[in-house]
Formats: sequence, C-alpha cells, structure tokens
Amino acid sequence: MKYLWSVLLSLLLFYGCGNQDESVIKVDLNIKERVIFEEEPDVINYAYLPQYSHTISYTRHHAIIQYLRKETGLNIKQIFPDTFNQHMKMVGQKKIDISFSNPFIYVNIAHQYNARAFARIVEVKGEDKFRGQIICRADNSLIQNISDCRNKRWIAVDSTSAGGYLYPLGHFIDNGITRKDFKEIAFAPGPGGKQEKVILSVYTGKYDIGTIREGSLEVMSEKIDINKIRVVSMTDSYPGWVYSAREGLDKEKVKKIKQALEKLDLNNKTDGAILEAANFIKVIPSEDSDFDSVRQLAYKAGLSSEEHGEIHR
Amino acid sequence: MKLGFRRKIFLGFFALLLIQGIVMFFWVSQVMKESLLEEIKSHGHSIGISLSARMVEPMLAMDFLRMKVLMDQTVQLDDDIFYTFVLDTKERPLIHTFKNGFPVELKDVNSVSDKQKGSMQLLDTGDYLIYDYAVPVFVNNYRLGTLRLGLLQTRAEKATNKITVSAIVTILLTILMASVVGTLLLNPVTKSIKKLHASTEKALRGDLDVRTAPSLKRNCWDIMQCNQKECPAYENFHHRCWYMAGTLCPDCIHGEYAKTIDSCQQCQVYKKCSGDEIQSLAESFDAMTISLKDNFYDLKSAESIVNEQKALLQTILDAVPDFISLQDHEGRFISVNKAFCEMLDRDNEQILGKTNDDLFPEQFAQIYNREDKTLFETGIALVKENKIVVAKGVKWLHVVKILVPETKTMGKSLVCSGRDITQLKSVQDQLTHAQKMESVGRLAAGVAHEINTPLGIILGHAQLLLEDIKDQELAYKDVQTIERQTKNCSKIVKDLLNFSRSGKSATSKFDINEAVKEVLGMIGHTFSLNQVVVQHEYDKEIDLVMKGNKEKIKQVFINLLNNALDAVKENGNIVVETKSVKAISEKTQNGIEISISDTGKGIDRDNINKIFEPFYTTKAPDKGTGLGLSVTFGIIKEHNGTIKAFSPSTSGKNKGKGTQFIIALPCDLNYT
Repeated sequence: MKYLWSVLLSLLLFYGCGNQDESVIKVDLNIKERVIFEEEPDVINYAYLPQYSHTISYTRHHAIIQYLRKETGLNIKQIFPDTFNQHMKMVGQKKIDISFSNPFIYVNIAHQYNARAFARIVEVKGEDKFRGQIICRADNSLIQNISDCRNKRWIAVDSTSAGGYLYPLGHFIDNGITRKDFKEIAFAPGPGGKQEKVILSVYTGKYDIGTIREGSLEVMSEKIDINKIRVVSMTDSYPGWVYSAREGLDKEKVKKIKQALEKLDLNNKTDGAILEAANFIKVIPSEDSDFDSVRQLAYKAGLSSEEHGEIHR
Repeated sequence: MKLGFRRKIFLGFFALLLIQGIVMFFWVSQVMKESLLEEIKSHGHSIGISLSARMVEPMLAMDFLRMKVLMDQTVQLDDDIFYTFVLDTKERPLIHTFKNGFPVELKDVNSVSDKQKGSMQLLDTGDYLIYDYAVPVFVNNYRLGTLRLGLLQTRAEKATNKITVSAIVTILLTILMASVVGTLLLNPVTKSIKKLHASTEKALRGDLDVRTAPSLKRNCWDIMQCNQKECPAYENFHHRCWYMAGTLCPDCIHGEYAKTIDSCQQCQVYKKCSGDEIQSLAESFDAMTISLKDNFYDLKSAESIVNEQKALLQTILDAVPDFISLQDHEGRFISVNKAFCEMLDRDNEQILGKTNDDLFPEQFAQIYNREDKTLFETGIALVKENKIVVAKGVKWLHVVKILVPETKTMGKSLVCSGRDITQLKSVQDQLTHAQKMESVGRLAAGVAHEINTPLGIILGHAQLLLEDIKDQELAYKDVQTIERQTKNCSKIVKDLLNFSRSGKSATSKFDINEAVKEVLGMIGHTFSLNQVVVQHEYDKEIDLVMKGNKEKIKQVFINLLNNALDAVKENGNIVVETKSVKAISEKTQNGIEISISDTGKGIDRDNINKIFEPFYTTKAPDKGTGLGLSVTFGIIKEHNGTIKAFSPSTSGKNKGKGTQFIIALPCDLNYT
C-alpha cells in the first residue's frame, strides 16, 4: 500500500512537472520595409450600388467579375463604395467604370455625369421590373392598410433608393399621403447594408413602417424571423436594376462587357451558378429611355427638381 | 524523543496538506496553466477570427483607414496584443500596426491554408516570446487575404505566475487555517487525553481516587430536583449517576451497570449530562477506577485470606512428618514441605524448580521418572514402599503418588506423599522376632514344665544315692556329678519358667537398697576372689521402698552383676547406684533408678540392641545360656519398669567406661 501511494504521488508529480515544448521560430523585427499600395494598371472598376453590405455585394457579384475578366480579358475589379452618394460621385470621378445601380440612381448619374445604360437585369421572378414594399411589425394592430401609415414613423433605405424610397414615396403620394403626413422620415444610417437596417429597425419596433425593395425580406430570412414582419402594401413595378457605363469609357470595352453579360444563360450550369449568386436570371439590353417612368416618378415625388436637378431625356 | 499525540496530528495535517499542496502546485496548477494557456491561445485565435470578420468590409472597400482603426482598436484592447497586420491574397502586407515600417521576416513565419481556421506559431524576437496567429479573411468561400495577430506570451507568463503564487498562498493559508482549526479542535482533546493519562499513571501507582471527568454545570440532583441527600449520587460532582450503584432516583433501575445503562440512556439526566466520546471515556475511566478500587479491596482481602490459608497449610504440611511434594507436568518440583527438605537435607530454594535428575542419584531418578511418566499417562495412583539411602543411613518410605488433573491455571501435576516407616519396619522386625521368641519361650516353658518333675526325681534319687554311697567310693563322685548337673538343669528349667512367666510370683514391699545389700553379701566373696571391687552408692535421704517380687529383683541384680564380673574379669570396678526419681508431671510417676556400671570391655554398637534377646550371648557355649538378660528384661517389664544399656557408661563413677545398665522402677515414694 505504501509503495502504491509513492507511485501515485510520483506519477502526479511527474505529470505536474511535465511541460509540452513548443517549437519556436526566431524572427528579427528590426528588418523593416515600407508598405506601399500599388494600383494595378488598366483596371476597369465595377461597383454594385451598396444597397446591401459589402459582403453580400461581393458574394453576389464576385462570380460575375471573375466571369467578365475571363470572358472579356479585361482587368475588371469590384470596388465597394460605402454609400449611394459615394457611388454616384465615384461615377462622376471616373473611379467607377461600370455601375450596377437602381434606376433612380441611374437617372441621377445619367443626368449628372452622363452615364449611359447598356443593360438591365431580369429579376428572379422573371420580370425585368421590380417593386417596393411598405412593411410593419406583424403584431402592429394600428397599421392595417396604407392609410394607417399616416402620422407614423417611417424609415426608408436611402434618399436615393428606388425600391426603398422613391417607389414607396410615389405610392404614398398616389394614396394621398405626402412626406409631411409622417411623424418622422428617417434613412438607414451608415454605409452599406441599408435594406437590412430598415428591416431591423421595423423588426425592433424603432420605426412603425419601413420601405424596402421587393426581395429584401428573403435576404434577411436567415437573420430574423421574417414572419414577424408584415407587408402593408406593394408599390407599382418600375424598371429593374441597370448596368451603365461612365462617361468616356471605351465603347469597345463596354460592348465586350455588354455582350458577355447578355451571354449569360441560366440554363448553362456555370452561368446559372453565376446568375444565381447575383440574384437575377438574365441580363438584357437596355437604353436610357427605358427609365423615363422613373424620371417621371421622381418628378412627381418632388425629388427630381429639388434634390437631383432636372430630368434629362 | 517520541512525538506526542498533538504533534503527530499536527504533523499528519501538515504532511497531508503539504502533499496536497505539492500535488496542487505541480499537478493542478500545471493543468490550470495548460488550460489557461489554451484559453489564452484560444483567446488570441478568437480575437484573430473576430478581427478578420470585421476586416472583410473595409478590405472589400479598400478602406485603409477603417482597417487601420480596427487593427489599432484591437491592439489597444489588450496590452498583450503586440501587433496585427493584413496580407492580401498575394501575401503582400496591406496594413499593419507597426511603427516605422513593417518587419519583413514576419510575413513568412506563419501561414494558414484555406482549409484551416487558423494557425499559431511561437516566435522569439530576442526580447519577447510571441504567439503569432494567422487567420484567413474569407467572404463566404472567397479568400480576401490573411490577418496576422501577435500576442505576447507575457500574459500567459503572468497568468501562470499568478496561478503559482496563488497556489503557494492557498497552500500556506490552508496550512495556517488547518493549524488554527486543528489547535482549536485538538486542544480540548489533548488536554483531556493528558488528564486521562495522568489519571492512568496515578491509578498505576495505586492511587485509585482519580477524577478525570470534568465537572458539569448541571447535575442529576439539579435536573431531577430530588433533594435526596442520602443518595450516593447527590452532590457527587465528579462521578456520573449512571455509573453508580444504589442510586435512589425512582426512575433508576437497580442492578449492575450492564443492566442499567440502557435505561439510563433514555433518562433526561443522561441526555443532558453525557458529553462527547472523550468525556464519556473520562467518565467511564473514573467509574472503572471506582469499580477497580472495590475489586482491588476485595482482591486484597481475598489475597490476605489466601496467604493466611497458604501459610497455615504450609505450617500444617511442615508439621506433618510425612514428606509431601508437588511436581508440574515437566517433573519440576513446585512445592515441597519441610519433611521433604529434611529428607533430602536441602533447603526449599535448592529443591524448587529442580527435577528428579537434579535431586536423586541417577539409578533412583530413572526409576522415579518412569513412575511419573506412567502416572501422567495412565492417571493410576502409585502406592509403594521405597528403600532409600540417605546420609544418615537407610530409610524405608511409604510413598503415594497421585495425579492432579489439569486446571485453568496449571497443567497436570503430581502430588507425592511419603512416610518414613523405618521405625515401623524395625518394630515390625522386632515384633516378628518377639513372636518367634514367644513361641520358643512357650515351647521351652512347656518342655521345662514337663522335665521339671523327672529332674526332681533324678535329683532326689541322686541325693539318696549319695547318702547310700560312701564318699570314698568311685561312684560317689559320679553321683555327685549327676546331682550337680541335675541342679544345673533345674536352674535352666527354673530360668526358662521365669522367662516364660509361667512361674508364680509373690509380691511384697521391700527396700531396694536392702535387696542390693543382700545380693552383694551373697556374691561379694566371689567378686573379691577376682579382685573386682563392687561399690554401692545409694540414696540415703529416702527409703527406696517398692512393691514387687524381691527375689526376682534380686535375680536381676545377680544377673547384671555376674555379667559385669564376666566383662571386668579381674582387677576391675563395679558401681551400683540407687536413687529416687521424682515425678516431673502428673502423668509421670515417682520411681527408683538403679545403675550398675563396670569398667569392662563394653559392648559393640551393633550388639547392644540384641543383648535382651533370648539366647543371645557372646560368651562361650558352656559359660552362658543367653537367657540372663532376657529374664532380666522380663522381670523389669513385669514390674512396669524399664531397663536400658549404655556402652560406654553415660553417668556415675564409671562414666565413659565399660557398660552401664540403668533400671527404672515405679514406686510410691514418700517425700517429706
């Protein structure tokens, strides 16, 4: 028994004294270099209007970028402006060569920076147009229809958002509700992820109603229980998202890109994966006149002359 | 020096806690260190993953400012975060937190593949040890670059040192606390044990008036409010009532402790006064000493009685002329009486513990051993007569050996008793001899009686012939010879008749001195012819008158004087002394003592005991018949007297010479 105790104690001590050696690499921190970011030459910057977070933007369009690089041989690179305004300004500053934006932004950059549409997308539902949605909490008994939105706190995606602000505002006006009839009108703060922020603001009860583009709720389905959100009303359909090229971009390059985009076929396995990631099913040719209805809506809503200048046609 | 109970407990505590401390220090602390180290490593990894997740957006936006702010914020989070930097997909640094440039060697020392969540490498900068974490920056499945984070090992060292210090402090505090608690707990225990030990020592020294149990605040008479002052428990502050006999409480069951304790345990006094195990021990010890004291007293009394009985028994045994011995199962003598010691001519101490082999000659010892062995085996008592040779000569012993059965305290033993029957044997021999002689005497008396008449006729006719025959004739001498020899025969016949006591005797009172004088007058002439002087020393103060047969007494004197003459032969001296002997007690009688001593050659020691036997003589066949002293012995005995022979003489004028016969005869002397 005495020996058993001794052995046990020795084992404990042996275990206790043991130490696991780790391999060590010696480094000299004194050898240093300056870090200089080198811009790549002949880069065509591709930007997706930051209606969602950069991550979603990247996820949706990274495959398309890779496809376009391969298909056109151009050094196309996706960049991520933080806000709608920054997106527009970067078009004007020629930092964005190819813009993928909503029609309201497009009419603005077309007006301000002479960007020109060359293609637009067909939504997953098979339409080349899309709508806006007015949402509230499912358990909000005070809001049953659009007229109940009067005197409520409204959060919209951005003052330059089409589905998230322009289309719902037009819909409110059509229903006799002007901006003055709301207790408060707010826009989603910060850069990127604005559609999600609107949904979360309504979900948490910070605002009574929110306006988003159709399909945004499905994007948030993995983060919140979207059954607790109720769609109060849907706007009319307007032209969908549009590819436009900045002023002065080589037309050949635009043509190559346009052709490559239009070539994408949902039935093709590879293309289908690209289109599925981008959340649309097809890219069709487009021109500036396709967005006149949007221009008119902006005018009606009082957003054209006051904030974005005249509508050019 | 041997350790005390308290020190042992303390040392035991100390050793246990020390072992526990060592185990904690070396094992638990090591486990904790490793866990903490893993936690720290995991923490570093978590920071890396968190930062990499937050770096996605600014990286996508190529917002260096946000990237820098995020990394700086992360570095500021914890002093142990030494650096962070981001590498793009081509392993080029994009942004870092180093001042004055980026350390080039850091780029390649750690890498992480797309399949890994992270990688850690320990770096040695010469000044510090750094855990370098590499975490890939992913956007879904697309990799944007690699985030690297450097965590100083200082925190881990601090943490492990803290654990070490904590472990040591904990051990010391535990030991200190254990010492304090141990002291508080052990003090009353050790105090009680010391008191108990002192009481035990006191009891061992014989003082049984010990008081070990502590005094109580409330006692049975307080609790029961009995006021029974005659109760032994009343105001007895040192002993508990449930240990006492004869208490007067009506609830008490009377009897022994074993019978009453179950009842007592239900009593409220017991419930209120009984303490912990130590107090119970002290109380029961006190009770035990009381009981022991009583038992000790009884034992002393019993021992005293036993000792007295033993001494008495030993006295009795020693007084018994028979020898008695007790031997154990191995034959060793374990008890002997005085007679046994005297028989062996040894002291008690020289015998006890010894065996037959030690005490007896080999040939006897072997016999005794065989006898003892048989007795132990068979259990049959041994009765025999033993002839032994001792220093004083040959002894006859009547021996009885008995087996004592085995007892609780002693195994089988052997009791041997022996009686000295040497004298009895001698008397038996004498008796046999006397019976033989009586038969001879009766035969001789018968013969004498039968031939007495013919002898008388022969003598008468011979004397008639002498009257008829002239003395000048030849036949005259022959007839004379016939007459003379016939007279001799008559004398022999007469002696024989006297010896057989068949003759008639006439008793009368006479003066013994007168009888002596008559005898001396009768034989004085013959003695003087042989130049032998006979002196008569008689008691002149009193008349030595006795009642008896004067003629027979005179015959005694004649026989003794003739023997003396034969012993002296010539030129000798014979002294006859007479004196009175006064009775010394009521049981004894006044008497006359006559001593006849000579200056002759004396009698051998071997023969002196045989001289009173009939027909025993040392004289020539024609000189004596061997009946003289036998007849003398018979006459004295007939007169209820005694006759003893001494050679040489023990008193008187011839003391130390020749032979002395002393005759004692009873008589009614008139002392005035």
